[in-house]
Amino acid sequence: MTEQSNTGGPAASNEGLLTRLIRAAEIDTRMLGMLAAMLVIWVGFDIISSILRPGGGGLFGGSFLTSRNLWILLVQTSVIAVMTTGMVLVIVLRQIDLSVGSMLSIVAVATGVLQVFELGPMLGVGHPAIWIIAVLFAIVLGAAIGAFNGVLIAYGQIPSFIVTLGGLIAFSGAAFLIASGVTVAPMDKTFKLIGGNGPAASIGPVWSWALAAVACIGIGLAVVAGRRRRLTFNFKPKPVWAEILSVVVGCAAVLGTTAVVNSYLYPPRVAERFALDNKIPIPPGVENKAGQAICQAADKVVSCLDGLTFQTGYPIPVLIMLAVGLVMTFVARRTRFGRYVFATGGNPEAAELAGVNTKRLTVMVFTLMGALVGISAIIASARLDAATTALGTLNELYVIAAAVIGGTSLAGGIGTIFGAILGALLMQSLQSGMALLNVDSAYTNIVVGVVLVFAVFVDQIYRRRVK
Amino acid sequence: MKFKILTLLAGAVLISASSTAVMAAGKTIAVSWKTFQEERWKTDEAAIKKVVEAAGDTYLSTDAQGSAQKQAADIESLISQKPDVILVVAYDSDAILPSIQKISDAGIKSIAYDVQFEDPNALYITFDNVGVGRIMAEETLKVKPEGRYAFIKGDKGDPNATFLFQGMQEVLKDALASGKVTNVCETFTDGWKPDNAQKNMEQCLTSTNNGVDAVLSENDGMASGVVAALDAQGMAGSVPVTGQDGDLAAINRVALGTQLVSIWKNSIDLGTTAANAAIALADGTDPTAIPGVAKFSGGKNGVEMNAILLAPTPITKDNIQVAIDAGHITKEQACAGVAAGTVTACN
Amino acid sequence: MSTETIAADSASQAAPLVEMNDISIAFGGIRAVDHASIDLYPGEVVGLLGHNGAGKSTLIKVLSGAYKRDSGTIRIDGRDAEISNPRDAKAFGIETIYQTLALADNVDAAANLYLGRELRTRWGTLDDIAMEAECRKVMGRLNPNFRRFKEPVKSLSGGQRQSVAIARAIHFNARILIMDEPTAALGPQETAQVGELIKQLKAQGIGIFLISHDIHDVFDLADRVTVMKNGRVVGTARVGDVTKDEVLGMIILGKCPPGAIPGPGAIKS
Repeated sequence: MTEQSNTGGPAASNEGLLTRLIRAAEIDTRMLGMLAAMLVIWVGFDIISSILRPGGGGLFGGSFLTSRNLWILLVQTSVIAVMTTGMVLVIVLRQIDLSVGSMLSIVAVATGVLQVFELGPMLGVGHPAIWIIAVLFAIVLGAAIGAFNGVLIAYGQIPSFIVTLGGLIAFSGAAFLIASGVTVAPMDKTFKLIGGNGPAASIGPVWSWALAAVACIGIGLAVVAGRRRRLTFNFKPKPVWAEILSVVVGCAAVLGTTAVVNSYLYPPRVAERFALDNKIPIPPGVENKAGQAICQAADKVVSCLDGLTFQTGYPIPVLIMLAVGLVMTFVARRTRFGRYVFATGGNPEAAELAGVNTKRLTVMVFTLMGALVGISAIIASARLDAATTALGTLNELYVIAAAVIGGTSLAGGIGTIFGAILGALLMQSLQSGMALLNVDSAYTNIVVGVVLVFAVFVDQIYRRRVK
Repeated sequence: MKFKILTLLAGAVLISASSTAVMAAGKTIAVSWKTFQEERWKTDEAAIKKVVEAAGDTYLSTDAQGSAQKQAADIESLISQKPDVILVVAYDSDAILPSIQKISDAGIKSIAYDVQFEDPNALYITFDNVGVGRIMAEETLKVKPEGRYAFIKGDKGDPNATFLFQGMQEVLKDALASGKVTNVCETFTDGWKPDNAQKNMEQCLTSTNNGVDAVLSENDGMASGVVAALDAQGMAGSVPVTGQDGDLAAINRVALGTQLVSIWKNSIDLGTTAANAAIALADGTDPTAIPGVAKFSGGKNGVEMNAILLAPTPITKDNIQVAIDAGHITKEQACAGVAAGTVTACN
Repeated sequence: MSTETIAADSASQAAPLVEMNDISIAFGGIRAVDHASIDLYPGEVVGLLGHNGAGKSTLIKVLSGAYKRDSGTIRIDGRDAEISNPRDAKAFGIETIYQTLALADNVDAAANLYLGRELRTRWGTLDDIAMEAECRKVMGRLNPNFRRFKEPVKSLSGGQRQSVAIARAIHFNARILIMDEPTAALGPQETAQVGELIKQLKAQGIGIFLISHDIHDVFDLADRVTVMKNGRVVGTARVGDVTKDEVLGMIILGKCPPGAIPGPGAIKS
């Protein structure tokens, strides 16, 4: 630990080299800490799983740091992560939304009923318009429920805790009534792809690399544009090495993630069906159960070491999560709306006196939260290929926990979208890792609860030091 | 374990009990439900109400909305209305015991409906849950006599999750001992939630590198999560999956071949049997004289109580017609997306 | 709103910039302001004096749109003005520096400077760089030592926060400036700075209401003083026509001296 003494003025001379580097590059040390914690957890799970069940093929011999597990981990995170980006804004505005879980239930069930019981018979099962209508319906319904919450809070002057606690109880009841408690299944075939299951639900290696390349160029352009703009106004720009470093690190993260999701191959039986459907010849080979490729051995298709493989690439729900993360970061940092949310969270009276219409702002934030719940409801029901009232239960707690672990302050005014997504990923890593080790879910709950409290504790210490 | 599965047809129970019920007119039968948040309880209620009202008796009910505290208060308010019998669907089988004591102290008879609480004075009426687990294991063994089994159990706080698992273990005992069947994954699922089951199944498949030949899921909701996880690996349809409750979506999966069996506990049978037993008790009939009653001591504390254990119906590809005929599901619902000629009931 | 419309030299020749007539406002039965009238001319500083709770802050919040009056009229440039929220007041060129500073603590100086009036790029996104550049210019004039542009204003000193608040008030061509205890949180040197600033602004033809309970400050800076007691105006006087002791008598006893024009709150002798 380096001594922190940044109480003002230029960097003091007694700072360590590392501190100065971090400051010059304007790196968020808190985020760095979270990434480090995540890395420790990942490596830890891989090592422990390698001891319990060797031969998992992971980086340390376990089954956690495998492309397959990381791929699934990202998909499993997406539902909570999408909602938590909205929760960050809600909490920054000094509000809370306890109803997101029940809202997810009601949207998922209503959308399921719409596509299975209404649109299916009306348009014919599998009609290409069904999924589009269902997706729009889910987002609009979510936004409408969110707006309803927002109006009660802003104009009805009822505390958000109460309004959304009421919603938590009432919406799950409504969700039950909509389908009279029946599990609605199966979802429309195209709609189902949004959940990330099956070969067509991922974009494949070519598009994944293309997307990664675009992202890399985007990062580069953004850095150059930012630098040029600072120079136009005669500001002292960041040191060149820091700019290059941020491009290199950003690009490496993008390319690394892409390499991981691409190296997850189609499971053998999916590959076999895909090859048959697309008339791709399967090469002959010798059976090897440990292999990830498929070969033709006499009259049947078997797993083998050296044969036909297909790379999956980014699954659709993960792309949605990334897109939502990007858009929400943009909204929070680069738009007037986002600026008002943060300013109002910092001092509602000051924002009101500065001419911010805080009531309308509250309605907008809750509407946005609702729309994001709609997106999560689509992913959750598409992934399960069924809509039930049980979907979404307790999700509000995980969503709030993810935001808080990610550095959002319940006192309002402070929080980042990226941090919250990391928080969701960290929590899901704990849950998935412990399920992988076959640990009883009771222990998993204890660990997640402890991590939540510990994260806030560390955060408090960190903030006091920085101050 | 000393218990007997009632193999009588529900219809026979209904006829024999309703003849005694005629004399019981003017009695009051109360039910304390634990929740109406699940698909099935409304069906149970309709069946009970129908029998009680047909006998000229009064039906009273309360809904605890998934809260042990509310259920205790509900029961006190029911006692104050002086019914003859109270049927209790316990939310928490231990926390309910003081309330059951109050019922006995007030001279009212109690029935443990579907969920067991261990009070020797109460009559326990349920489907044979150990039997459900046993049927699941038997059906799976028929198609996969050897292989790697995964067990997706229900919520650890629900005694049924353990009863079901016991039943499976009983049937699989020999196969497990000989190594023909191995247990590769075994997890409880918080809240019996399908999405939790899906995640657990995904982690099971990852940790075994898809080395799973059969999945014993303890209900249909969780089976939907299991099938989704298998589907992602291209394994749905080739790995048998069990379930129970006769969910409409599950019966459709059975027809599609992605689920092996859904053990269907016809709630109408259970409700009708319980209502008739309640009327008999109200009429002063000794519990042991009620048809189908046997001694049961399979609870976690081994308390011996009078019990009626109904046999459930396994629904497989071959007998989907049974559920259609009973009006539980329409042919369209059961057969949605099923390829012609694969299932007889869908032709 | 450009500065050309403002009469630059003399305070008395033009129509009053602000006339508040017969303003009353009550909070739950308590008359915080009771039939108060006050006016302000271009390039003039009017000191508003009185004890805590005398109603001076409340009266001025009616002008800045934070409170809505129960009765009375407000005229700006001789025309009736409807002011029912802070946005209306800003549209009339009325800017306020509140006693509580009213800064959004968790965003930086530039964001506070432009809060509610953000500069945007041609794509409609926030132009933070341009805002920071402008902020540097304004702050360079007000407080040349200020360097902490990247930090949330929460971490700034009282004086630094005050200069951000003042920068925000004057940056948007204010014609009427309300300063509620502007030097309360400041040290002597910073107080002197604010005094200089007030003289500068006055020279530009801006009308200023200066609310204070420090009579010396007010005598140094104001052209006229208006004294309030128990929600009512005791009287108004040119600074040259009354002594400090006489003004103290107005504040404490509500006694209107001969050099002042008495208001409804003056005790009859």
